[in-house]
Amino acid sequence: MPHIQLDRVRKSFGNAQVIPQFDADIEDGEFLVLLGPSGCGKSTLLRMIAGLSDITGGALRFDGTDVGTWTPSQRGVAFVFQSYALYPHMTVRENIAFPLLMDRFRKWHHIPVVSSFVRWRMMNEPDIVERTDRMAEQLELTALMDRRPAQLSGGQRQRVALARSLVRDPSLYLLDEPLSNLDAKLRTQMRSEISALHQRVRKTFIYVTHDQVEAMTMATKIIVMNKGEIQQVGTPDEIYERPANTFVARFVGAPPMNLLNVGIEDGHLSLEGCRWQAGHALPSEKDAILGIRPENFRLMPQGQGDIPVEIALVERLGAEVILGCRVVSEGNVSSGTLLRQDLLFVRLPGNPGLSHGDRVGLSYDPSKINWYSQATGVAIDTPAQGLPQSA
Amino acid sequence: MAYSSQSAQPVAVRPTTGGRPAATARLRRLLPYAFMALPVIYLAVFMFWPLGRQIWLSFTRTRLANPNRSEFIGLRNYERLFDSPDFYSALYVTLVYSALAVVIGVAIGTVAALALNRPFPGRTLVRAILLFGWAVPNVAAALVWLWIFNERSGVLNSIVTSLGLERISWLTSTDMALSSVLLVTVWQVAPFVMLVMLAALQSVPQEVKEAARVDGADALNIFRAVTLPHVMPTLQLVSLLVAVWSIRRFDIIYLLTGGGPIGSTSTLIVKLRQVAFENHDLGLASAYGVIGLILALLVAAIHAAFNRRRQKGQS
Repeated sequence: MPHIQLDRVRKSFGNAQVIPQFDADIEDGEFLVLLGPSGCGKSTLLRMIAGLSDITGGALRFDGTDVGTWTPSQRGVAFVFQSYALYPHMTVRENIAFPLLMDRFRKWHHIPVVSSFVRWRMMNEPDIVERTDRMAEQLELTALMDRRPAQLSGGQRQRVALARSLVRDPSLYLLDEPLSNLDAKLRTQMRSEISALHQRVRKTFIYVTHDQVEAMTMATKIIVMNKGEIQQVGTPDEIYERPANTFVARFVGAPPMNLLNVGIEDGHLSLEGCRWQAGHALPSEKDAILGIRPENFRLMPQGQGDIPVEIALVERLGAEVILGCRVVSEGNVSSGTLLRQDLLFVRLPGNPGLSHGDRVGLSYDPSKINWYSQATGVAIDTPAQGLPQSA
Repeated sequence: MAYSSQSAQPVAVRPTTGGRPAATARLRRLLPYAFMALPVIYLAVFMFWPLGRQIWLSFTRTRLANPNRSEFIGLRNYERLFDSPDFYSALYVTLVYSALAVVIGVAIGTVAALALNRPFPGRTLVRAILLFGWAVPNVAAALVWLWIFNERSGVLNSIVTSLGLERISWLTSTDMALSSVLLVTVWQVAPFVMLVMLAALQSVPQEVKEAARVDGADALNIFRAVTLPHVMPTLQLVSLLVAVWSIRRFDIIYLLTGGGPIGSTSTLIVKLRQVAFENHDLGLASAYGVIGLILALLVAAIHAAFNRRRQKGQS
């Protein structure tokens, strides 16, 4: 299994620079997720690793060897496409066996009649039959072997695409948003299947997605990207609990982290006319952004807690409820100038029985808060906490 | 509040008077027929009537001098046709000419489309130039090629003689005439094939080709395993069109050689003209036409069979 090193990798299309500079070390057996919004360059990066796109600058190394000029097959990678990219005129068996056939294909096999004969003979070779059947069995495709892709459901197609990539036993798996065409239920199922697959084969997976749930549930390491640049590298817990900047804070998590534009003075915090005593360490800046995850708020009766709010939105999700709250100051509901949002989101377990218009107080767990600079959006260190690992 | 059972009935949103809704419904029912009437009348007048008339004429003795006086003679014209060596010669020329036009025209057109399918500077200009042959009217093209093929003053022979070789009788020797006619045919057909195939090639999903690259396929493998199966329906359709056009082609052949020399370029259609307008035998000429029609239908049937097989394989 190769140790993959991206050393100052750049990518431009004409004058448009998609990836200004990208540095990363990917360890053996890692499940790395490249997470970011559409157009941030994550798929381009994956295609460069696969050898499907040229690298404009920098170096890509597998175990220290520069592979920039290697073809995709020389790199020994498997690539699962968003659209599955199955061969439409081939059966499931032929699709899965195709990489094995190509491994044994020689130049002289291109002679028209010889080619057909060789393909037919190779398809019946015990080794190819055995490997194809084993892969089909692992991915529960045995009953579908004689069908063509058009006769399969989305999930079945995805499994065929996975089987085709697995059959060659590659050392590196590259997956480009492989679940985005599936419905929610199937996506959940395939997510666990891919995770189980990673556990079983113990190879390096690089997985591109814009879906933070996929990233959080499958990754051993996440690289959050925006506009071709790394925003943060870390484990799912690090990314979620200690976002390196406001972009990561808002991109990861649904609802996103609440980012409160607070004033800091004499150990007190102020927000939209309300003011409360901070019982925790504060940054040295006069103004900063206080980041609190929705589940880190505690609900208090009206008149208690740090932030008085009025409930403007109630989303019941069964096991939990999401409240959208407006800050209340001096008896009036504020117009709301929270950073990039109007509402403070609170996640509560069960059903607290609150409804629109109710007034309550909010307090928070000081150990679960994050501070960001208002000027740069980057995390600020406070005496009580360390800085997250950023790019 | 009580609801009457009538409240569940559909209620007209806009009050209407008298028979208007019924008239509107009738009009709506008749509208598709009205739209279809024009093409049906066109086809009936300009295709089915002449076709039926031709088939009928092939069973009659009809002279050009008096086409309205026909005498029914059953299959006599077909007997004459099958007894005539000229018919077999025309059938042979038609089959050879059509088959070669399909093979060479489609091959050159497809190769040109493959070449144009990858980006290079000036691609649009090259495509426009290559389309020239298809855009030129047949008669104009034939006249230009007559000059090019001219034995004494033609461009081709001027090149041949400059190479120290003897002049070639491009259109007047039995060895060369069919090849020359084929050259002009391919010059006209290949750009059309190129245009259609280029559109088909551009619709091949890029990701499937990339998947094949990752799976270890080289360029030729990708072409055979991904590109060719994807464009095969278009390739078959374009081959059908070229085949049918070749069976029916008259203008270029007639203007270049008139079917000669010694019938070496005389296809069924060219022969039809000769029998009808030189021998004045409309009945026999119609029989030639019917055979040409059967040939074209056979080609279409083969295409349909291929189509059915492919669709069956995919479903």
